[in-house]
Amino acid sequence: MQAGRRLRLPALRVILQAWPWALLLLALVAVRLSKGAGVSDVYALLSRPFWPGSAQGEWIRSAQSLSDQTRLRQLDADNRRLRELLELQGRGGREVSAPVISRQAGGWWQQLVIGRGELQGLRPGLPVTAPGGLIGRIASVTPTTATVALLTDPGSRVGVWVGRTQRHGLLTGIGTSRPVLRFLEKDPGVRAGDVVATSPASTLVPPHLTVGVIQSVDDRAVPATEAVVQLSAPVDAVDWVQVRLP
Amino acid sequence: MSRLARHGWCVATALLVPWLVLAAPAPLTLAGVPPAWPVLWLLPWALVDGPLSGALAGVGLGLVLDGLQLGPITQIPALGLLGWWWGRLGRQGPPIERSFNLGLLALLGTALLGGSLILQRLLLGSWVPGEGPPSPALHTWLAQTLLTALLAPLLCSLQLLLWRQQAQGGRS
Repeated sequence: MQAGRRLRLPALRVILQAWPWALLLLALVAVRLSKGAGVSDVYALLSRPFWPGSAQGEWIRSAQSLSDQTRLRQLDADNRRLRELLELQGRGGREVSAPVISRQAGGWWQQLVIGRGELQGLRPGLPVTAPGGLIGRIASVTPTTATVALLTDPGSRVGVWVGRTQRHGLLTGIGTSRPVLRFLEKDPGVRAGDVVATSPASTLVPPHLTVGVIQSVDDRAVPATEAVVQLSAPVDAVDWVQVRLP
Repeated sequence: MSRLARHGWCVATALLVPWLVLAAPAPLTLAGVPPAWPVLWLLPWALVDGPLSGALAGVGLGLVLDGLQLGPITQIPALGLLGWWWGRLGRQGPPIERSFNLGLLALLGTALLGGSLILQRLLLGSWVPGEGPPSPALHTWLAQTLLTALLAPLLCSLQLLLWRQQAQGGRS
């Protein structure tokens, strides 16, 4: 028995002498259990001067933009194919640029006269856009000119929708620079700042053309909610417009 | 009728009206609203040339302007009526040439023209049924009436002078 006790004492002493190693082992276990948190933080602190600069961030954004554009083209092609299957209005093909030669955005009539007409393939009903979005539709054509009924004209009615809530409505001109959006339901859930675009179900104008931004919402309107829309295209300032041919 | 209408170039000055309507010069607007150019041309013409010539000139101008504007509403009845009324005023009593009188006639004429457009839009249902004209229409009506009345003493006086010289020259 005594010989056995003598044998155990050195082992205990060795263990007591090795306490730093035990602490190290515990630290490693802690690192393992914390998924290397401390190590990463220390590494981040030490390597901060060598982190990638803004140039690399721009490369990444450029690559992301390229990827987005490619994806957008694919989605656009898919969308066009599906709309053809459903016989809905497409986004239009060729665009004809036309100068604004007469502008009556105030007064009793809200219209533009543009310097392109039937000879360039224009015909009534075609949508007219400007930098910023849709501004109206062609109402009449002559061989060399066309009259555009603006969205603000009291006779203008265009089907639109709010993309965020996917609620449809009728954009109605009332003779001011801000047309009224009349929804088809009482509680469309829209708010000021929502973007309004042409309806994907429209058979008159291409879908998803930006129209404007909701400026205010009247929930108490009868029979359904109404909103005032600020057009995104500056009709008072635009000198050239684009007509989307079918 | 038509001492003035015998002069072709006098009739041709009516082409200034559609040209000004299309050009819509920005400096000559009030709160974005242009004056009633046909009123400013028709008033002196009718005062000098009589009711029949005034009514025909009003109808002719209305035809041209309706062709330039969108929608079914028309300016022909109001302009024809104004031409006839101003022509009668020019033939009865002393000649009208004071600035205040010209401004007042232009104000009444523009108010009548705008009122006829509002009435037609109400009848055609361009606005919400059961409600009156929306405030933008009243804004346009007021701004155009005021601006036309302010411009009339200047522009109509000059035209009256010119037309009377032409009419007297044709008579002698």
